[in-house]
Amino acid sequence: MFHRVGCFSFFLRSGGVPAPAMRHHLRIRWSLIALVLLGIAGARTGRADLEIEQTGQVASLPQPPSPHWAWVGDPVQRRSVLVDLENGRMLGNLAGGEGLAIALFPRSRRELYMPRTHYSRGDHGERVDALIFFDSTLLTPVGEVILPPKRAILAFTSGGSALSDDDRFAAVFNLTPATSISIVDLEARTFVEEVSTPGCSLVYPAGDRRFAMLCGNGALLLVTLDEAGRVVERTRSAPFFDPVKDPVTEKAARWGETWLFASFEGYLYSVDLSGAEPRFSEPWSLLSEADREASWRIGGTRHLAVHQATGRLYSLVHQGGPDTHKDAGSELWVYDLATRTRLQRIELENPGLTFMGLPIEFGKDWIWPFNRLAGWLLASVPIPIDEVQVTQDAAPLLVTAGTASGGLGIYDALNGEFLRHIYTGNMANLGLQLPSGWAGAAQGGNR
Amino acid sequence: MSWMGRSLGILCALVLAGVTVLLLPVVRAEPPAVQAGEPDPSTPEGDPGAAEYWRYCAIDGYLADCCGGTHTTCPPGTEMSTVTWLGTCTNPADGKDYVISYNDCCGKPPGGRCFVRRTEGERPAYVTHKNNDINWCMGTSSIAYNSTVAVVVGVAASEQSDVSDPGTGEE
Repeated sequence: MFHRVGCFSFFLRSGGVPAPAMRHHLRIRWSLIALVLLGIAGARTGRADLEIEQTGQVASLPQPPSPHWAWVGDPVQRRSVLVDLENGRMLGNLAGGEGLAIALFPRSRRELYMPRTHYSRGDHGERVDALIFFDSTLLTPVGEVILPPKRAILAFTSGGSALSDDDRFAAVFNLTPATSISIVDLEARTFVEEVSTPGCSLVYPAGDRRFAMLCGNGALLLVTLDEAGRVVERTRSAPFFDPVKDPVTEKAARWGETWLFASFEGYLYSVDLSGAEPRFSEPWSLLSEADREASWRIGGTRHLAVHQATGRLYSLVHQGGPDTHKDAGSELWVYDLATRTRLQRIELENPGLTFMGLPIEFGKDWIWPFNRLAGWLLASVPIPIDEVQVTQDAAPLLVTAGTASGGLGIYDALNGEFLRHIYTGNMANLGLQLPSGWAGAAQGGNR
Repeated sequence: MSWMGRSLGILCALVLAGVTVLLLPVVRAEPPAVQAGEPDPSTPEGDPGAAEYWRYCAIDGYLADCCGGTHTTCPPGTEMSTVTWLGTCTNPADGKDYVISYNDCCGKPPGGRCFVRRTEGERPAYVTHKNNDINWCMGTSSIAYNSTVAVVVGVAASEQSDVSDPGTGEE
């Protein structure tokens, strides 16, 4: 028996006792209502139950690497983190050891290499120096080559180690304080030999079977290897700069086959290593007379960067007196290397304020004028900028960093416009690497 | 007790209290003694705990003076490096230039206090003996860097003679 009650009554066409035909229609309608209710209930049940997932999953890096990825070292946490400069996502990290965590990035193998020094008891015990091999997709250690325990521990990122241009060999600079380089065969994963380099320090790539070093008298030492990685020739050039009157900094930038060194007084020295003999160009001034009168100087921990395709040189500068070659930069000056002219001056924003790796940002959602006031306050914090690097793609980004912050300043490298801050999670940023040629990414750039 | 006697009693009590206070073992601030040949330690150029201390003209690191040692002694448990970099700093007390040996204190974690980086006369790492970006914990049982001292090791000769040519070694 059916009774017309409550809210269900609107489904009924008429009142009273239903006729047999009407009862049939009513049965159909109630079936429809039941279906709708079941559908709603089913839909709700579907939203509540997630698919059962697997534990133990570990991400791997997508390939090929984006040219807008950056490795950023942290001397406090002894690591280097990989971040995406587009969105700030942290993609992974590599542990370091004593000193800075600086990796080598081969173009031809999906591997990464990092020279590391460890003690068996943390701060004491047996010292082990090794070149650690990592899978560049999984970031897992896949091999190692034990080195002589002589590796130089440096507080800057240039010249500590280098890859041959064909990725076959690695050279690691040693300082005891006798100077030498350790040669590693990366294909065979074996230590080849230690090459004594008296009076010459640091190491830079200089061809498939050659490394370059800077000597204390202003000369260049070229160390040539055979196919097995053994030294066959050590050639010292005549001095190409005066290390007493105006030394060049170690923080060189490579433009094709040419290494560029800037001197304390702002002159750019070029060393062309495309031939058997190095060719040294006449140095040219990065500073005009007016710049010098205003006390502009080059300086920083990594103060030069080159965009290969456009031939643009980026130079970190500050205003200061003599011997301020390591002072942080306040501006970035852009040059065209072909015409030796300055194209632009970029006033730098600070790289962002952090505390214990956490970004300090506030006020963006406050009402006017407090949002503007908060922005001005954060931007006016004078955080030194020690490093600059540039990506090597067609839409290049400039990246600035400083040891007093875990943030990065990101700029459009073609017009100098400040784009955003990226936060690395580092307590201090030291060791900014943009490995453009890394395992399939766009070719060119510094390694 | 008469008025006179009460007054004398109060006076004696005050004198006694004053003497007692003077005899209490309180810390009295005294200016640090001026060391012979050193600037006044109450000035930054004479204070080994200050970045402006004259010997620190080419230092780069944590001051041992702030980390358990002094400007000439390393903190307990560390080991002083025997290989160092050198600076040439002017002593404002006598106007002379002195050769300063910056010995690293090694074998412990970083001191973490009073980080000072000055680069007067500092040179790139290929002029190794004048570079302060190298971890100079060499010849020690551990290269772990803790802090740095600044030891006078001689009166400076002329700049030309000081800049030896380390790049003319044998080939």
